[in-house]
Amino acid sequence: MSRRRNRRRFGWLEGLMLLAGAAFVSPCLLALLNAFKTNPEIIGDPLALPGRWSWDNFRFIFTGMKLARPMLNSLLMCAGVIACLVTVAPMAAYSIMRRKMATGKLLRVFFLVGLTVPFQIIMVPLLKLFRVMNIQFTYLALLLHYVSWGLPLCIFIYSAFMATIPRELEEAAAIDGCGQVGTFWRIVFPLLTPCTITVIIFWGLWIWNDFMQAFIVMGPTRGQLVFVQLWKFLNDQYVRNWNHIFAGVVVLSVPVTVLYVVMQRRFVKGLTAGAVK
Amino acid sequence: MSGAATRRGRGWAASLILCGPAVLLYGTFVVLPAVLGFAYSLTDWTGWTTEPNFVGLDNFRELAGDERFASAVRFTLFETWMIVLFFTFGSLVLAVLLDRLRSAKGLIRGLFFYPYILSILVVALLFKYLCNYNHGAVNLLLRSMGLGHWAQDWMMDPRLVGYFIFAMVAWSAVGFFTTLYLANLQTIPAELYEAASLDGAGPVSVFTRIQLPLLVPTVTTNLVLATIFGINLFGQIVVTTEGGPGYRTATVGYYIYWLGVKNNRQGYASAVSFTVFAALVAVAIVQVALLRRRQVQL
Repeated sequence: MSRRRNRRRFGWLEGLMLLAGAAFVSPCLLALLNAFKTNPEIIGDPLALPGRWSWDNFRFIFTGMKLARPMLNSLLMCAGVIACLVTVAPMAAYSIMRRKMATGKLLRVFFLVGLTVPFQIIMVPLLKLFRVMNIQFTYLALLLHYVSWGLPLCIFIYSAFMATIPRELEEAAAIDGCGQVGTFWRIVFPLLTPCTITVIIFWGLWIWNDFMQAFIVMGPTRGQLVFVQLWKFLNDQYVRNWNHIFAGVVVLSVPVTVLYVVMQRRFVKGLTAGAVK
Repeated sequence: MSGAATRRGRGWAASLILCGPAVLLYGTFVVLPAVLGFAYSLTDWTGWTTEPNFVGLDNFRELAGDERFASAVRFTLFETWMIVLFFTFGSLVLAVLLDRLRSAKGLIRGLFFYPYILSILVVALLFKYLCNYNHGAVNLLLRSMGLGHWAQDWMMDPRLVGYFIFAMVAWSAVGFFTTLYLANLQTIPAELYEAASLDGAGPVSVFTRIQLPLLVPTVTTNLVLATIFGINLFGQIVVTTEGGPGYRTATVGYYIYWLGVKNNRQGYASAVSFTVFAALVAVAIVQVALLRRRQVQL
């Protein structure tokens, strides 16, 4: 394994793996290509170039499917949930990590248990709870669910990161008469920025892409988030209009793809952060 | 003394501000529904209209003789088996290959990770298109190559639909499991490789003697994660086959959803979900315990 001799050479292995990678993502490329074609063209020959590159399918996404508003709703939902998570979770993690043995440990276990609970277990009791609270099928209910559901993982990520921060800074602040809450916001929170970025990427992507939980918590008719709307529209159709499906898939995947290309490293790191327990 | 008391009081107030919101939210919207769910598993609650009646362990007794549940368990185990094998060993091979790249690393790894950032609905729509009987790209390609008799109804044929689900899941998440291996591979010190090359070791013995033993911690992680992934398979079914044809592709997750949301049998659905959850926890504990012993310390 002569790593040093052929450093940075583009050899047969690189060529082969690049080809394999391209083949691997070819379904996405096919979707992109076919989003510019008409339905008969797609059915006729999915690999051919379109007779005329047309934006009609994309126009339909916004005029026929009216996806602009749901896109905005999804963005706002992402922003709201993330804002809640990056304030509530690090505060709790800080309090847990800086606590004397017994209660801290108890709280840690209390939150860690949440990482193992599957959604199916809480699904219907949760809906019942929202009905009792009179907020069934509302954005507020979905927001509350997303935040609560995200808390255990966020607290876990923040606590792991907090263990690496030295305590001396906080002690200095305490001597200067800063309370625990003040110390947290002024001293600790700024140090947690890398962690906060991870949380933003993870949950931003997760909520934008989520279909299942939004569909169940907000119901098929009221749910105005992007993927629920796309699903509803496609399910209402009798005919398979592949051109519209492809255009929808492309439009909803472009934002995350652009961000992924720009910040690939951060994305990969953020999305695998929860796994290394 | 009163000073100490106020300091303690202030400590409590601070804890309440810091920890209160998290405990309140998580306690109300995750823990409470989970506990309620467990309580409902002992009742005949429909989920919507009538109030629950206590029925003891009747739900669990019904479960033992439920043919649909047995079918769901069989299908889930079939999928989990393939998923675990592929995500533990398939992505291990891919990671070792990707680790040997000397240029275009970011690009090539990025390509394999890419499907993981897509919504399951996007992945499902892509695969529904590829595998559609009349218009799907797979069948069209087969026909255009003169292999029309190989064209299949991948999504409707009961013998093939299991592989269709597996292919979809494998494609979308292989990059995730590969990345975990890659992170582990990067922690292997270069001296080990140098020593191996001085001894004239080929890539195969480097893999079996150096990389594989040092990758055991991640093998454990991936094995457990892939098992959880397989047993909780649910959303992917809702957006593709909806359990069909018949109830051939109903996983236990889908069966719980079907019982609770579509069939108004929440009491029974809770009993099913807790049984599955208990089994999952037991399997995960056994896996971790077995593999911990095989870890090599660096």
